[in-house]
Amino acid sequence: MKVGLYNAVTGAMMNRRRMLQGAASVGALGAMGGLTANSAQAGGHSNVRAEILKIPGVGMGSPTDADWQKVGEMCLGPTMENVAEGEFEGVELTFMGLNNQNLHNFLFRGFLKPWEAYTGAKINWIDLAQADYNARLQQSIATGTVDFDIIEMGAPFEGDTAGRGLLDEMPDWVKTQIDADDLVGYLQEPVGTWDGKSYRVTIDGDCHTFAYRTDYFGEGAIGGAEVPSTWQEVNAVSKALIGQEDPLTGLPAHGYLDPLKGWGGFGMYFISNRAAAYVKHPDSPAWLFEPDTMKPMVNNPGWVQAIQDVMDLIEAGAYPADQINADPGTTAFSQFLAGTGSMLMWWGDVGSSARTSDGSVVGDVVGFGINPASERVYNSVTASWEETRNEAPQMAYIGWGIYVTARVSGDEQKRKAAWSAAAHLGGKDLSLWTSAYPSGFQPYRNSHFQYDEWEEAGYDRAFVEDYLGSNADSYNHPNAAIEPRIPGIFQYYSVAEDELAKGFAGQYASAQETADAIAAAWEAITDQIGRDSQIALYKASLGM
Amino acid sequence: MSGQGDLLHVVTADNITPARLRLSKAVVWGAAAILALVALLQALNANGQIDLGFTNWRPTLYAFILWSVALCWAQVLGKGEYGKRSLFVLPAALFVVSMVVFPLIFGLGIAFSDWNLASPTGRKFNGLDNIRQMWGDPFFWNALKNMVWYVLAILPEYAIAFGLALLLNAQIRARKFFRVAFLMPLMLSPVAVSWMIGKSMLEVRFGPISRLAREVGIDNPAFFSSPEIARFMIMAMDAWTYIPFMMIMILAGLQAIPKELTEAAKVDGAGSWRGFWEVTFPLMLPVSITAILIRIIFKLKLADIIINVTSGGPGGATDSVTSFIFREYRDRSNVGYGTLLAMVYLVIIVIAMTILMKLADRWMRPKF
Repeated sequence: MKVGLYNAVTGAMMNRRRMLQGAASVGALGAMGGLTANSAQAGGHSNVRAEILKIPGVGMGSPTDADWQKVGEMCLGPTMENVAEGEFEGVELTFMGLNNQNLHNFLFRGFLKPWEAYTGAKINWIDLAQADYNARLQQSIATGTVDFDIIEMGAPFEGDTAGRGLLDEMPDWVKTQIDADDLVGYLQEPVGTWDGKSYRVTIDGDCHTFAYRTDYFGEGAIGGAEVPSTWQEVNAVSKALIGQEDPLTGLPAHGYLDPLKGWGGFGMYFISNRAAAYVKHPDSPAWLFEPDTMKPMVNNPGWVQAIQDVMDLIEAGAYPADQINADPGTTAFSQFLAGTGSMLMWWGDVGSSARTSDGSVVGDVVGFGINPASERVYNSVTASWEETRNEAPQMAYIGWGIYVTARVSGDEQKRKAAWSAAAHLGGKDLSLWTSAYPSGFQPYRNSHFQYDEWEEAGYDRAFVEDYLGSNADSYNHPNAAIEPRIPGIFQYYSVAEDELAKGFAGQYASAQETADAIAAAWEAITDQIGRDSQIALYKASLGM
Repeated sequence: MSGQGDLLHVVTADNITPARLRLSKAVVWGAAAILALVALLQALNANGQIDLGFTNWRPTLYAFILWSVALCWAQVLGKGEYGKRSLFVLPAALFVVSMVVFPLIFGLGIAFSDWNLASPTGRKFNGLDNIRQMWGDPFFWNALKNMVWYVLAILPEYAIAFGLALLLNAQIRARKFFRVAFLMPLMLSPVAVSWMIGKSMLEVRFGPISRLAREVGIDNPAFFSSPEIARFMIMAMDAWTYIPFMMIMILAGLQAIPKELTEAAKVDGAGSWRGFWEVTFPLMLPVSITAILIRIIFKLKLADIIINVTSGGPGGATDSVTSFIFREYRDRSNVGYGTLLAMVYLVIIVIAMTILMKLADRWMRPKF
């Protein structure tokens, strides 16, 4: 839809449905006069991208439901090309997703409200807290009570769902509507597919990036002249900052913020950031399990070094008080964005939130990079350390996607409606907005890295190049650490969190003992789920 | 009307004929046969041995309801007025059986199974393996040890509750206001307490309690970093919520003590300390024991504050059995083992509470 038309109609105080009817009429009139609706869309496309980035505007506070609805409405063009108005009248769909930090489903509701008004479909919502998500999904699968047609799901769960035939394969028109070729390379095959088939409308491209405080580093700054680029340097700086004062808040200065408390399994990604640099060898995609045996690698010398690094910082007293009770959410939103600590690994939404969230005080003093490297890497094949610098950014969680379940496969109208809703949420333009504003999602398309668009939206060019560059560099890194999409992956993470918590609390004699306890627990889980099937799925997920 | 039988308690002595008795038995056994047949067919259908098109277990439920109605009817048919009397209890008993006993039996089946929701092979009976796993599980024993500490914390809670109840029973100013004010924590959900106190007021950087601690010279106040302090803070938050419960029970007991007794003690020369120990406290013993037993039951369920504030940390120092089971079941989808832990915990609770109630009964028995 042309932005001018949108503004004119909303200015005339028309309701949304009539406005959309008006849009359709204008399209039809255009067709009669030689101007097709498609060309009108195409003509307005770049304007839509620019205009949605003004909602509510960078620095204008956190977006509200009205903003999400407005964005959803302005991005309806591709839906209107494939779906007639009112085509899904009477169709009811159930959508299961998250309610983290009032994002995810809260945004989807707003984005899909105009879609519902246009198509006539009705969506019922199942909202879940992040920590409840895994259990709810697993119980639904195991008890045969999948009660949702559309699901927001992380790629790691594909083993549990696609692997059991619970998902509907994506129709070709959806691939065209969402412009699937625009996805960054690592989200294409094999990570973007399961057994060669597409199921996921990608709405997020996860990787952990390194965020740091620019006022801590530089000539004369308390953290030293250079930003640490290896984990060895990160630890050295963190120790050196003990006893110094934070230049922004005046409170005690701190270095790297490791979350020391579990987070329903998600805490495992954070120790993995350190470990990836030590153990993800460029010669092999495997870094968590040995692919032929599923023997855990978590107690090899590389992983042990990562755990030891954290224990060293605990021993030195380098963390803020009560860090043992800080989960990843705390480190990002209560600590780093609120001005405590100078270095953090997190998903990219910390970058967009730094500038646009009401709770952030570090928007002007934050810089980004890729996961720090290690000065040496452990080669698990030769069982020896190699004294070479190793970078391995972690594609933590791979990204959220919208999936359609097999519940709708037998009903063509419902199936089309479900895929249309999914495609709307994964649309090319809408995703630009979710990349730029607090949404829980980060850039994941090549088109998201057009820095001019961000600059025009009000972002500082240097900031956005830095922030987006760290994402692009991570996605395109040849030695990216990609986790296995195997069933029960969060069981492995959850039990590791428990053992790490004991290790960090000093209940194990050493990092090695902690790692051995994790390995033993992982072996038990593999045996319980079934070693042979896990090996097969692990290899498949790594494309081996 | 029969001139024999229990004429004292029976209003209408029915003349139950042998035919009516036979009908009563036929009704019960006929309904039972239908129930058994439907359940058997459904079981075979569920196992895939036959295909009757059942999509859920509702037919068995209907057969059970039919049998329950038949059982109630048969009581009247076969026993007359005695049967009518049993109808006052029987429906409730059947409801309890269906809602508690059946799930317990199914739960036992799951408890002795290897059932990980992520496993493609589903549930498998594994005998005593889960018990062996529990025996060697340091997380479970650690949580059980923590529970001992949490339960022991009830003694100081009781002392505080008693003190507050005495205060509120005395002639103090604004007594009604304080009674309501002291009750307010009990009205709060433990989840709200976790967030308001554990995650907000005790937040290290911005929390008002942390700020106050810094004002009084504590540089780095930390409330959940050492095992002992973290455990104490969990106990304190839980106590803050539930002390009012014990307080209100004790207060009710205090108000029920006849004034003549305390006045007589005063006349006999007992001071307030002696009057308390020799008169008030012994009279309050039944109420106190009841309050403590109920509080123990509440305490054994402690989980919400722990899950929200510490997730059992640091290093399991605050873990309770319930919060550990919650993690095992929810985060790891380990349904079989999680259920076994819950069953074992239930057995421990039943045994411990039975012993406690026996002891309490012995303490409260009159000695003179």
